[in-house]
Amino acid sequence: MSQRNEITISPTTRIEGHGKVTITLDDSGNVSDAYFYATEIRGFDYFLRGMEAERLPFIISRICGVCSTAHIIASVKAIESIFETEITETAEKLRELLLMGQIISNHSLVFFFLTLPDFWFSPEEDPSKRNIFQIMREKPEIGKKAIALRSFGTRILDVIGKREVHIVSVIPGGLINPFTEREQNELLKSAENACAITTEALNLGKELFEKNWPDFRKAGDYKTAYMALTKDDAMEFYGGRIRVIDYTGKALSEYDAQDYMEHVEERRYEWTYAKFAFLKALGWPKGIVQVGPIARMNVNKRVTTKLANKELEEFKRKFGSPAYATLLFDYARLIDLTYACERARELLEDESITRTDTRVQVKPKAGTGVGVVEAPRGTLAHEYVLTKNGQLKNMKLIIPTQVNNAAINLNVKDAAMEFIHQGEIKPGLLNRIEMVIRAYDPCVKCATRQANENLTVEIRNNKGKLLRILGSLS
Amino acid sequence: MKVSIISLTCCAGCVSSFLNAGDALLEILAEDFDIVYSPTFVDLKEVPEVDLAIVEGGVRTEADEKLIREVRAKSRVLVALGICATHGGITSLGNLTSVKKLLEKEYFLPASSRLPALEDLMYPICNFVDVDYYIPGCPPMPFLIVHSLKSIVSGKAPIRHQSVVCMECHRKIIPAKLDRLYGIYEKEANHEICLVSQGFVCLGSLTREGCGAPCPRANFTCFGCRGPADSLLYRSRDIYSFLIKVISIRTGISEEKVKEELHRNPFIFHTFIFSRFERFKARERVI
Repeated sequence: MSQRNEITISPTTRIEGHGKVTITLDDSGNVSDAYFYATEIRGFDYFLRGMEAERLPFIISRICGVCSTAHIIASVKAIESIFETEITETAEKLRELLLMGQIISNHSLVFFFLTLPDFWFSPEEDPSKRNIFQIMREKPEIGKKAIALRSFGTRILDVIGKREVHIVSVIPGGLINPFTEREQNELLKSAENACAITTEALNLGKELFEKNWPDFRKAGDYKTAYMALTKDDAMEFYGGRIRVIDYTGKALSEYDAQDYMEHVEERRYEWTYAKFAFLKALGWPKGIVQVGPIARMNVNKRVTTKLANKELEEFKRKFGSPAYATLLFDYARLIDLTYACERARELLEDESITRTDTRVQVKPKAGTGVGVVEAPRGTLAHEYVLTKNGQLKNMKLIIPTQVNNAAINLNVKDAAMEFIHQGEIKPGLLNRIEMVIRAYDPCVKCATRQANENLTVEIRNNKGKLLRILGSLS
Repeated sequence: MKVSIISLTCCAGCVSSFLNAGDALLEILAEDFDIVYSPTFVDLKEVPEVDLAIVEGGVRTEADEKLIREVRAKSRVLVALGICATHGGITSLGNLTSVKKLLEKEYFLPASSRLPALEDLMYPICNFVDVDYYIPGCPPMPFLIVHSLKSIVSGKAPIRHQSVVCMECHRKIIPAKLDRLYGIYEKEANHEICLVSQGFVCLGSLTREGCGAPCPRANFTCFGCRGPADSLLYRSRDIYSFLIKVISIRTGISEEKVKEELHRNPFIFHTFIFSRFERFKARERVI
C-alpha cells in the first residue's frame, strides 16, 4: 500500500488572521498537493440580515479591524448607489484621503512588522528571533520610523474618521464632520516626515529585495489574470472603473463597479471556510485572477504622483508587465505606500478640502447596489439588497483575499514543489512557504467573516497518518 | 516579563489599536515587555509559558476553546482585550439567529472536513477560563490599552472606569418635546445638546466610560462598545427598560412609544448581547 505523507504548518505566522497549510506528498516523497485554508467563521453574511442600512456601515467594519475604513467606504458607496445619492466633491476628497490613511497604516505595518523580518534575517535564522522586535533591539531607529509612519496613517483616520479603528464619521450621504483648517495644518506638518520615511523604506526594501531576488523569484510565479480599479490608465483607490487583464497583459474587460457581481463568481470547497472568487467569463479554473499591489502595478500604466510613477516605471522595466513572481507583492506594496503618502500630501494641500459641504441628505429606497474600493489587499466589493424600509435583505461581499485565495493555494503548491524533493525538507522550508502566503498579506479575518480560520501545517504519511504538526491548532 | 498575544475569533482590531499607541507603544516595548508569542508578529508555533497573556477575540469554534484553555494554563496573568473577549462582541449577533444552524443549512457541514467545529454560540472567554483583567471596547482606545498594560506590568492594579460615557461627553442634557426618534442620517445633530435629547438613540447613558466619548464628540451616537457600566453589571435584565426610561425622559416621548420604536431595530444592542451574562460578575476587574 502506498504511503501518503502530509506536512502541516499551523498557525501560519506573521499574517493577519488564522490560517493553516497542508502539503501532501506522494509515494516518492514529492509534493502532490498543497492547501492554504481558513479555520474560522463568524457569520456576518447571515446575521446582519434585517439590519437597517443606517447601522450597516459601522457594524460591517467589524469584519476587519485592520482594513475597517475600506469596508466602511465600500459599504456607504453600495448604500448610496441604492439611494441614488450624489455626494459632494469635498466628501469624495475626504474619503479618498481616508483610504490613503488606511493604505499608509496597513502597508507600513505589513512592511515593517510582518515581511521585513524575512528580508532582514536569513531563512535559516532562529525562528524565535525572526521578528520586528528583534530588529528593533538591533536597530531602534527602525522601530521609531515604523511607528512614526504608521502614526501618520492612523492620525488621518483619527482626525477625519474620528476613531483610528472602526471610524464613525463616514455615513451614507458623505461625512458627518467637515475637516477644519487647524486639523489640515496638523496633518500637513507630519506629511513631509512620512514621505521621507517612505522613501527610506522603499530604498531599504529594494536593497534587501535585490540581494535576495535570485532566491525569491523561484517562490511561486503562477500566471493568472489581474484586476484593479483604474482611472485614465492611472492607479485609483476610490473611484474609476475596474479593469481586468490576462496573464500576457492584454485587456480582457473594463467595466463599471456596479457590474462587479456580473463579472466575478464564487465557489467553495469543503476544506476551507474561505470561498474562492474567479472571473465568470473565463470559468473555473481559467478565470483565476489576482488583486492587490501587484495587480495595481500590472493593470495600470501610470501613477499620478511623481515619485511613485518613477518607481512604477522602474518596476515595469525590471520585472516586465505583467510581473508574476509572488514575492513582488512586497515590492509593489512599497510603491503603493509611496503613492499613498504623496497623494495624501496632495489632498492635504488642496485648499478646497476644508469646505464645509461634506454632507447631503439621503432618501432611503429599495434596490440592489454595489460599492467598490481598492482596499490595501486589492479590489473590495460589497453588494446589498435593501427592502423598501431600508433594511438589509441580502448581501454579498467579495473580499480581496477570496479573490487571491486560488492563486495563494497554487503558489503555495508551486513553492512546496520547489523546496521539497523526495521527502527531504530543506531547512527554512516552512518559512519560505509562509513567505509566499505573507506576500499576499492575506486577511483571513475578512475572507472568513463567515468562519473562524487558523493557519497550520501538517505532515502526514500516505495513509493519512499524521507525522508532524508545525503549529499549535490543528 | 514574557508576554503572549493571542487572537481568537475576532477582527484583529484590538491588536491594531494597541499598535496605534505610537510613542507610548515604543516606551512599553523598551521596558520589561518581551513579546515571545503572537502569531501576528512572531514565528513561534507553540504556546509558551508566559507572565502575561493578552487575549483578543471570543470563543466561536472548538479550536478557540482548546487554545484559550491552554493559554490560561500557561499564563500567570490573563487580560481579556476588547469586547469580543470580554462580552462576546459583535459575533454574538449570530446567537440571535443561530449562525451554526444557518451555516449548516447554507454553507456546508464542517464535521466532514478538517475544519474545527463551531460552538453552539459565540462565548466570551470568561465562560471557559478565569480572567484577571477585562478591557472592553470595540476596540479599546490605544491610550487605555497602554496605560492599563503599564500598570499590570509594574504589578499595580490598573485605574478602573466605573461610570458612564455621559460623564466624558460635554453635551447639555435638556428635557425635549419630540414626537419620534431619528436615525443618524435623517437629520444633522446639534453639537451642544445631548444626542438623546435630539431624538437619536445614543447608548452613552449605559456604557462604561474610559474611551473619552469619541463618537458623541463626532456627532455620532455611542453604540455601547465598552459594555455596561458598573451600576448596570448586576442588573442585566434592567438594561433595556433603563434605556427606555432615559430616552423617554430626555425626549418627552412616552415609554410605550419608545419601546415600540426600539423594537423595530433589534440590532440596537449589538455589543450588549452577553452570552452567559450571569458568569460575568467580576466587576472589580473591569477596567
